[in-house]
Amino acid sequence: MRIKRRRTLKAVIPTASMSDIAFLLIIFFMTVTVFRKAKGLPAQLPYAKTTERILKQRDLAYIWISKDGKVSVDDNIVSPKKVALIFRTKVSENPALITSIKADKNVPYRYVHEVMEALREANALRVLFSARR
Amino acid sequence: MAIFKKVRLDEEAEIPTASMADIAFLLIIFFMTTTNFARERGLKFVLPEKKDQPQEVKIKSENLLKISINDKGELFLNDEEARWENLEREVKLRLEKNPNLIIIIRTHGDAPYDYMIRAFDAVKAAGGKKVSLGIIGGGG
Repeated sequence: MRIKRRRTLKAVIPTASMSDIAFLLIIFFMTVTVFRKAKGLPAQLPYAKTTERILKQRDLAYIWISKDGKVSVDDNIVSPKKVALIFRTKVSENPALITSIKADKNVPYRYVHEVMEALREANALRVLFSARR
Repeated sequence: MAIFKKVRLDEEAEIPTASMADIAFLLIIFFMTTTNFARERGLKFVLPEKKDQPQEVKIKSENLLKISINDKGELFLNDEEARWENLEREVKLRLEKNPNLIIIIRTHGDAPYDYMIRAFDAVKAAGGKKVSLGIIGGGG
């Protein structure tokens, strides 16, 4: 008789709290995720009417130029000479590279010119003057 | 024994589906808020190639339009002072007269970058395709 009673016992995993756990995990990861902050330098982009949209995000490389003429590539502040070096490797990796120049609208043109010369040196000829509409 | 079996069949395993929609919505909203679309806009330009021996190309002055911006941000069209508001119209007029016009935008090294963009934008809006960028003063 005793053995028979034992057989009726079933192993049960409680599933009622499953959704709670799932939610907890979702909310945990939602709150903990830190998105990559906008890299680069603070730059107030100029306005332009005839801007085009670039859809191929993959081909884009960014150069930031701040108001005081600092140049930043890939989160590093670099000199124009270094820009040429960095972009030479970038162009060899991706010949279809488009360099997006994100320069502050009040920066003296000299600095932008220096960067453009460096890009010519590196044979990174396709550029985009980043602007807002 | 027959009765016993029937009772057991009633106990079916179930996955709660009522909250499924909530989870799906939550995920949708999460991805909606975190997605950022390609928002890269700007003015395209192709730089001239750098050559060891720069070749000289003679261009007739009538095929050339010089747009100069000095350090104070004043505008000159072929060395004549011009107004910013009229630039686009002016360039358009000249392009209509001569579609082969080559436009050179020369900006002073101390002039804010914004002026160059404004001039370039106006030229683009006017339909100018052959554009060259240069610098006045400060090596160029």
